[in-house]
Amino acid sequence: METIEKIMLTGNQAISRGFYEAGGLIATSYPGSPTVGIIENTKAYETIYSEFSTNEKVALEVAIGGSFNGARSMVAMKHVGVNIAADPLMTFTQTPINGGFLLVTGDDPGLASSQNEQDNRIFGKFANMGILDPSDSQEAKDFTKEALKISEKFQTPMMLRITSRLCHSRSVVEVKERKEKEQSEMDTKTGEYCMIPPGSRKAQFFMKERLEKLEKFAYEIEINKLELKQETDTLIVTSGLLYNNLKEIAPNVSIWKLGLIYPISKEKAKEITSKFNRVIVLEEMMPFIENELQLMGIECEGKKYFSFTGELDVPDIEKGLYNAGIIDNMPERIEEFVETVARYPVFCTGCPHRPTFDILKKSKTKIIIGDIGCYSLSALPPFEQSNSIISMGASIGITKGLRKAKVLNDNNEPIVAVIGDGTFFHSGLPSFVNLLHNKEDNENITIIILDNRTTAMTGGQHNGSSGLYNEKDDMKVGIKSLLEGIGFDRVKEINQYDYKSAKKLFEEEIAYEGLSIIVANGPCALKYNMEEPYFYVDPEICISCRSCIRTGCPPLRMIEYEGIDKLKSSIDEDMCVGCSVCAQVCPVNAIKQSEKIDREGGEFIGN
Amino acid sequence: MATNIMLGGVGGQGLVLMTKIICQAGLMDQYDVKSNDVVGLSQRGGMVWGNVRIGDKIYSPNIRPKEADILLGMEPLEAYRWCSLLKDKGKIILNSKRFYPVPVQQEQEKYPEEDIESMKKRYETFEINAFDEGVKLGKKQVANVILIGILAKVLENEGETPIKVDIWKASIKQNVPTKAIDMNMNAFDLGYNFPRFY
Repeated sequence: METIEKIMLTGNQAISRGFYEAGGLIATSYPGSPTVGIIENTKAYETIYSEFSTNEKVALEVAIGGSFNGARSMVAMKHVGVNIAADPLMTFTQTPINGGFLLVTGDDPGLASSQNEQDNRIFGKFANMGILDPSDSQEAKDFTKEALKISEKFQTPMMLRITSRLCHSRSVVEVKERKEKEQSEMDTKTGEYCMIPPGSRKAQFFMKERLEKLEKFAYEIEINKLELKQETDTLIVTSGLLYNNLKEIAPNVSIWKLGLIYPISKEKAKEITSKFNRVIVLEEMMPFIENELQLMGIECEGKKYFSFTGELDVPDIEKGLYNAGIIDNMPERIEEFVETVARYPVFCTGCPHRPTFDILKKSKTKIIIGDIGCYSLSALPPFEQSNSIISMGASIGITKGLRKAKVLNDNNEPIVAVIGDGTFFHSGLPSFVNLLHNKEDNENITIIILDNRTTAMTGGQHNGSSGLYNEKDDMKVGIKSLLEGIGFDRVKEINQYDYKSAKKLFEEEIAYEGLSIIVANGPCALKYNMEEPYFYVDPEICISCRSCIRTGCPPLRMIEYEGIDKLKSSIDEDMCVGCSVCAQVCPVNAIKQSEKIDREGGEFIGN
Repeated sequence: MATNIMLGGVGGQGLVLMTKIICQAGLMDQYDVKSNDVVGLSQRGGMVWGNVRIGDKIYSPNIRPKEADILLGMEPLEAYRWCSLLKDKGKIILNSKRFYPVPVQQEQEKYPEEDIESMKKRYETFEINAFDEGVKLGKKQVANVILIGILAKVLENEGETPIKVDIWKASIKQNVPTKAIDMNMNAFDLGYNFPRFY
């Protein structure tokens, strides 16, 4: 007898497991919250080829190549990543699918860690894909397998839409063995993957017919479940985690839980909804299912009762159901958490970005164009040093336009742009080439490239600058050589932890009335495990000026010392990793390093 | 029937691993389990929270306000922030090690010591400086396992969803480095035999 093995998996882990069990071969991604864990987990399976690609577009293309040859392929990205990948996606989805193809999109209702809240179900429909929406880890695994099957059966690309809450939520999953799937090799005779006219015109009809077949199939698909309750004339249509939140309330309604949320079978929808007086759609963000039903001529409500933004947790659903007259008692309004002192995310202890923004805060620069990465936190207290954060790699193009507009307005004040190494390789590089192509004389721009040698914000993934720049490594040159090689003539390099030299260089380059680039080096303190002897404050020397405190390094704090009137600075030695920045900003040398001690696990790579 | 455990801490303290250990122990003792750990912007220094629900059948992984049985506060301010989720008779396991947030460090606001004191009077609280105790055992990283030891005892005393000591230890062993197993077992025992229980 086969014993059933049950384990706890996050939504992300469950997707990886599903892909493994389905015989998946090619898995790609660009790291972004909430879907980072998917590829980190597929990497643990030797039978799957996994890669974190340079960006989402490249990741998608690698997966397309796998699918062309008949390999089951999956590409995972956060919701905004699909914007980067949209170009190949919108054309690839016109072709027939050979090896099962799955795009996993991690939507982020409530913007827990994102710059916007876009609803990628719209993208799935736009790209003529079938869309699945799991409600727990078991379904995340099952739907991954189901999606690959549907993909091959209907030759259609599929989308698995998962939300940030479910990506990180753990629940019980039954695991099974892997079943290999043979590759059929790429068809090179029919030209069905060549999307130029006339083939691409024919593809429009193929796509339409494919979707119609899928809609017919949706009539009996088992992952759409109807839960009938006697003595109720109300039906709630829902999907994903919201189903489980709704079950927590257990209202007196019937529930139609959709697993395949697009396309919805019109015949089935009419058949089911016609038995009810009232149909209410429960969904986060946009009225996607609500609109689909209304297009079918089905009367329904939804967004009238539930917010267009944020997550819909149990109390939000209760409130909506009360307003809809489905539950009788208005739930007591209780705050989820107590209003008290805020705790913003901060740069880690020892972070190389800290000296950069401390210097910028003291500089004459009033405009800093930021980008996406750990350094986005510079927009928050205590630095508040980024005036714009839009999307990956956008800082460089924005700076070009902003500079031009200001010059046209007779304003030549300095502009500083900051961009990290991960973002540089993701999508920053074309903007640098553009700067060069469209360079003008005396273009007063200073760009600081924050090279911490990893994609740090998402947990420290390897990127173009993580290597050692030698013959044996993936990249043979660093960012400075690369930029000089293509023609930039003023590129300086500095060690971030050398505060005084960095400050001097920043001031010089900001004062220079032309285009200059600084590559600010300093390995991520977390990824490269900085663990140097701790620093301490001599309260007798400290003059309470708070220069160190203003760097915002977590172990620092003003405290009372016995026998001393004024508050003096202090350092929590258990938290300090010995980066020395506080000591360097101290005007009176009151901060000193403890004796060199042997600590375990010191893998810090210096400059 | 469900036991709702809320966790609050500071990014970098290891909250995600905590929820994982609790979840695995729950499953190994045949319960249905669901958890969340919401990691927002940045992994270090910001507020992080998570929760575990253990019972016969769990639908939502989320805990509703005033439905948490146990609040595992890995830091006092973060415990205070989430105490509105506790039932009136809820219990707090509190690590007294303080991590001062930016507004306190920059002397714009005071660390809410009085609010934390009144919270401790309102709810039965098991308080320990797990950080210091961890350092004494050999490494600050075992602080969380000390708190898990206390949690094990509290769940046992509460009665609804007790988890066996052997199972707790097995779950911890699966999630810590091999060379640190002994230290972690000592940490668990220290929490489990926390003086307040006698």
